[in-house]
Amino acid sequence: MRTFRKWILALLLLGAIVLDGTCSLYLNRLFNFTVSSSLLLVGVILIGLLDDINEKEVWLALGAGIVADLFNFGFLGIYTFFLPIICWLSQKIARYWPEIWLARLMVAIGGTVLFDAYTWLIFNATGIISTSVKQLLMSIPGTIGSAIIFFVVSYWLWERMIRNYPFLVDLSAYRQ
Amino acid sequence: MKKFLQNKKLLTAVMIVFVFLAVLGGSVSLRNKRNTPFLIQSLGNDVVAIGSKIVNVPVSIISGGLTNVDQLLKLQKENDYLKSQVTDLGQTKARNQSLEAENQQLRSALKMKSTLTGYQPINATVISRSSDTWSDLLVIDKGATSGVKKNQAVMSNGGVIGRIIEVNAASAKVELITTTDKSANRFAVQATAGNGKQVHGIITVDSNGNLALTQVIDSLKLKQGTRVYTSGMGGNSPKGLLIGTVAKTTRDQFGLSNLIRIKPAGEIDDPSVVTVINREAAAN
Repeated sequence: MRTFRKWILALLLLGAIVLDGTCSLYLNRLFNFTVSSSLLLVGVILIGLLDDINEKEVWLALGAGIVADLFNFGFLGIYTFFLPIICWLSQKIARYWPEIWLARLMVAIGGTVLFDAYTWLIFNATGIISTSVKQLLMSIPGTIGSAIIFFVVSYWLWERMIRNYPFLVDLSAYRQ
Repeated sequence: MKKFLQNKKLLTAVMIVFVFLAVLGGSVSLRNKRNTPFLIQSLGNDVVAIGSKIVNVPVSIISGGLTNVDQLLKLQKENDYLKSQVTDLGQTKARNQSLEAENQQLRSALKMKSTLTGYQPINATVISRSSDTWSDLLVIDKGATSGVKKNQAVMSNGGVIGRIIEVNAASAKVELITTTDKSANRFAVQATAGNGKQVHGIITVDSNGNLALTQVIDSLKLKQGTRVYTSGMGGNSPKGLLIGTVAKTTRDQFGLSNLIRIKPAGEIDDPSVVTVINREAAAN
């Protein structure tokens, strides 16, 4: 049980990868255009903001990035690099950023837009897509909307889980 | 140089960039070259795919309920249309049977084992989609154990919607036909021109995701509404899979060649169930 508690956050991130794929599939059907699903991204940003002293969270983000990359794209380099970097950056920001819901939402929006631009850049550079800057700019409102929805829906769960079950730390050992 | 080597932060940043480029380039190249991913990757993908299947069950029930309500509203219109079609159906069926029998007789007379048109369908359900804005990738619940192979064509709602790009044991990834991926395999297609001649070309995609028929010689003879099928010449897809219909013929941006816009026949935005096409000629 102690080991399970240490890995709860990792299992949640795995669940977020699964749910991201399902949400993306059904949102695309609903709106008839590509909608990005950012549950995993929001989760990793919140992990960085809420648990800024646990360096193991960056390694967790790296692991989640590898699984997400292989499942979504079949190659490494998108989530694998972005998630640990955004987690580390969030931990740094958290030290002087206001600890309020709205301020965290701002970071989540910024991170999601940054991820959208990063994927666009990498996919264009590797020839996986060839789309214009105009399309990138046009995608930003949708990305912001998606980030807000996923942040609002999942914030309560993420906050409880990150506070109670930090990665590879058994808080109950300190409470006894 | 000495200063650079002594600056640990700068050195680490440069090393990270190198590792990033090596990992990205290497893994993209591996994905394109290998017919099946590494065992550990395949296993990981299948574990996540099983999770997606489980999540998909309740979500599809709710989504299906909403779709049913929408379909009920369209039912009367659809019923009227189907009634008009039923009268022709019996005659078409009888003619189809006689043609099929004649086809079999001619094949046996010529001792033909397989042609470009032969294929076996493998039905699959779409369980996930890539969660980013840019890549057009779907995950289906059938893999190598069901006979799915890399580069097989995938159809939905009567038209081709994409191609298999990665096969795991119990799941596979489908790249949609509208992808702007420069390294993606393109479909070799043909259409019958107004004068009865066969016009050959390949399907390409512009930066807006619109399908176009290119590398065509007699393109002006293709009228609007002409059906475009796979020609079976690429080696991966059988002959006769419907890609779409000709929407309009324009000139390309340089004004040198004709650009034929194709309206896709398959359900690209809402492919809940798909059919993977296992070409028989390739298997023999």
